[in-house]
Amino acid sequence: MSNEQKKNPAAGAAEEKTAAAKTSAADPMDIDDDDPLSATSVSKKSLVIFFLIDTSRSMVGKKMGELNTVMEELIPEIRRVGEADTDVKIAVLTFGTQVRWMYAEPISIEDFEWSRLRADGVTNMGEAFKELNARMSRNSFLNSPSLSFAPVIFLMTDGYPSDDYKEALAELSTNSWYKFGLKAALGIGQEANDEMLAEFTGSPDTVVHAYSGGQLAAMIKIIAVTSAQIGSKSMTLSDDVNHELNAEEVLAAKQKLLGQQIQDSMTNLGNEAASFDTGW
Amino acid sequence: MVELTIGQEVEMEYGGKAKVLKVIGSGGQGTVYQVQYNGMKWALKWYDVEKMRNPKAFRANIKNNISDGPPSKQFLWPKYLTKENEDGTFGYLMELKPDSFDSFVDILNTYKLSVDPLTGRSTKKPVRFTSLYAMTTAVINIVNAFRQLHRAGKSYQDLNDGGFFINVDTGAVLVCDCDNIAPDGNNFGIGGKPGYMAPEVVRGVAKPNVQTDKYSLAVVLFKLLFRGDPMEGEKVVKDVCLTESSELKHYGQNAVFVYDPEDTSNRPVRGIHDNVIKFWRIYPDYIKDSFIKSFTVGITEPNKRIIENEWQKLFLRLRSEIISCSCGRTNFSSMFERPDIRTFKCPKCGSMFGSLKFSNRQFRAPLYLGCVFYECEIDPDSEDFQTIAGELVENKLKPGVLGFKNTSSMTWKAKMPDGNYYDIEPGKGFPVWQGLEIDFGKVQATLQ
Repeated sequence: MSNEQKKNPAAGAAEEKTAAAKTSAADPMDIDDDDPLSATSVSKKSLVIFFLIDTSRSMVGKKMGELNTVMEELIPEIRRVGEADTDVKIAVLTFGTQVRWMYAEPISIEDFEWSRLRADGVTNMGEAFKELNARMSRNSFLNSPSLSFAPVIFLMTDGYPSDDYKEALAELSTNSWYKFGLKAALGIGQEANDEMLAEFTGSPDTVVHAYSGGQLAAMIKIIAVTSAQIGSKSMTLSDDVNHELNAEEVLAAKQKLLGQQIQDSMTNLGNEAASFDTGW
Repeated sequence: MVELTIGQEVEMEYGGKAKVLKVIGSGGQGTVYQVQYNGMKWALKWYDVEKMRNPKAFRANIKNNISDGPPSKQFLWPKYLTKENEDGTFGYLMELKPDSFDSFVDILNTYKLSVDPLTGRSTKKPVRFTSLYAMTTAVINIVNAFRQLHRAGKSYQDLNDGGFFINVDTGAVLVCDCDNIAPDGNNFGIGGKPGYMAPEVVRGVAKPNVQTDKYSLAVVLFKLLFRGDPMEGEKVVKDVCLTESSELKHYGQNAVFVYDPEDTSNRPVRGIHDNVIKFWRIYPDYIKDSFIKSFTVGITEPNKRIIENEWQKLFLRLRSEIISCSCGRTNFSSMFERPDIRTFKCPKCGSMFGSLKFSNRQFRAPLYLGCVFYECEIDPDSEDFQTIAGELVENKLKPGVLGFKNTSSMTWKAKMPDGNYYDIEPGKGFPVWQGLEIDFGKVQATLQ
C-alpha cells in the first residue's frame, strides 16, 4: 500500500500533524507489547499427582503386567483433566529394595510417557515415605511459583513394609503438603494390610483392595481419575448448605469427597473369580 | 451409573430411536454421546441420575425448556427428551457443535490437543482469535446471549468457562450445557464452579440466580479479555497451597479484586499474572471501571452488578474503537495517540486517522480502510450488532480515494463538497471529505 493510502480519510488535516508527531519525543505507550490478541495461557494452579508403587519381587508377573498396562492407558485418558485451571504433573516413586523416581522431576501430564516398571527385591516402604517427604517441598518437586493445589498421593502395594515405616510415616505426617494432600491407597492381593494403608491415607474410606487382575485395573483407574478430578479443581463447598460456611466445615472436604466417591464406585465393581493369590 | 454402549438404541419420548455412535465427553452430571436420530447426527446427554437430587423435577424442567425454545440462536438448546427407563435414567438430544467452534477452555489455554488416533500421541494446536473484531464480537455475543436468557426470566446457574464454544474467526458464540437453566429462583442443586461462582454462593448464603449469573458473567468476560483470574493476586498466591479453607476465604468471605482501587493487597504478581498486568494497561478506562465496579461493590451488593445491556453498550463501543493501521498495528483507539479530538495517530508509524461523530454517542469512531459500522449503531431501535450497515472502502476506479459504502437496506443522505445532500441508496457509496455529514435517518454523523 502506498503512503497516500496509508493516511486516513480526512487526509488534508492529517498531513501537517504527521510532521508534528514525528518531532514529538516521549512515547507514553510501550508499543512493542500491547497487542490485545497476544495472550499467553491463563495463569494456572499446579497439581502434582504422586504415584507410590511397590515394585518388590512379589509384584512380579500378572500384577506388574496389569499395573503397567493400566497406567499406560490411563494417562492419555486424563490428559485434559486440568482444563484451563490447573497444570497437572505426574511423579512416580517406586520402592523395592531401592527407592527410585521414574523421572528426575514431575512431568506435565500432557508430555508424560509411562516407562514400564519391573519388580525385584523387598518392600522398603518406609524409605519411600522418607524420600517423598524430602521431595514434597517448595524447594524440590513442589516449586511452582504460582498457586498449587495440595498434591494427590496414591500408594499401591501388595505387601507389608519390610522396613520400619512407622517412624518415616510419622515424619511424613508433619509435612503440610501431605497433611492437606488427597491420599488414597490400593492393596493388592492377600498380603497387603488395609489397616496399615489407612494409617497412610488417614481414613479407611480411601483404601481399596484388589484381589484380581480385573479389579486391579479397574481400581487404579477409578482412584487415579477420581483423585485427579477432585485434586485439580476447586470444590463447590456450598452445594448442600443453607448457611454461612466456616473454615472448619470445609477442612479436608476434598479428602472426604474422594472417600465417598471411591466407596460409591467400589459398590459398582463386581467380584471376579481368579485371584492373584491362587495358582502361583 | 448406567452407561450406554456403542450401537445401543435409545427410545425417544415421541417415538423413534437414537443409535449411539460414540462418546464425545463426560462431565459431572453424565456423559455426552454422538447419536444418529432421524437420519441426522445429534449429541445425546445421558444423565447419571444417581448423582441427582431430584431427577424427576430436573427432567420436567428440561421438558419446559424444550417447549419454551432457546432464548436466541446462540444456545445449543435441548431439543428432544428420551423416554425414561425403568430405573429413571434418561437423556436429551441437542445439536452437535460445529467443527468451526473451539471451546472457551482451549481459548484460555491458547491451544488444543489434537490426538493421533493411531499412536495416541497428542500435538498442540494453537487456538486464538484471528482478529480483534472477532474477539470483541465474541464478547458482545456472550453478553447478548445472557441478556436474552435473563429476559426470558431464566438463569443459567453454573456459568463457567466450560459453557461456551466460540468461533475464533467470526466471534460467533454457542452457549452449551443448557440443562441447568431454570426459571429465576429455581435451583436443582447445582452450585457452580469455584472462581466463577458469586461470593455469596461460595459462602453458602445464596443459591444461584440471575444476580449470581451476573457475577459469573463478569468473571467470564474478565477471563476472556484479561486472561487471568480477577481475584487471584498477591494475597492469594501468598497462601502457596490453595486448600478448601483458603478458597472459601479468597473467593467467598474476603474476595479482593486484583485492581481494587481502595485495597492494594491483592495486586497481580509479575511472573505469574503477566497477562492481567499487560492487558490492564491496554483497555480503556470505561472497560476497566466496569470491572472495578463488578468486583468491588458488586461483591457485596448483587443489585449493583453491571447489567447485560450495559456490558453490551460498552463492548459495542470498544468494537467501534478498534483501529487497524496499515503498518500492521491493530489496537483500541485508547492505545493510539490523540493529537486533537478528531484525530488518532499510530504510535508506531505515525499514520493519522480521522473519526466520525455520531449524534447518538459521546465518543468518536475512528476511521480506517476496512472499518465498519453495524445496524444498531445507526438505528437506535435496532438490536442488530451483527449486520454491517456501512464500510469504509477504497474506490475501485480511483485508487487512494476512500469512501463509505451503504451496505444497509436504507437510503441515507450525505452532504457533498458542493454543499448539497444527495441520496445514497443501498449498495452505493460516497467519498469521505472534511465537511462530510451523513444522515442515516434517526442518527446523524459528521467528520467534524
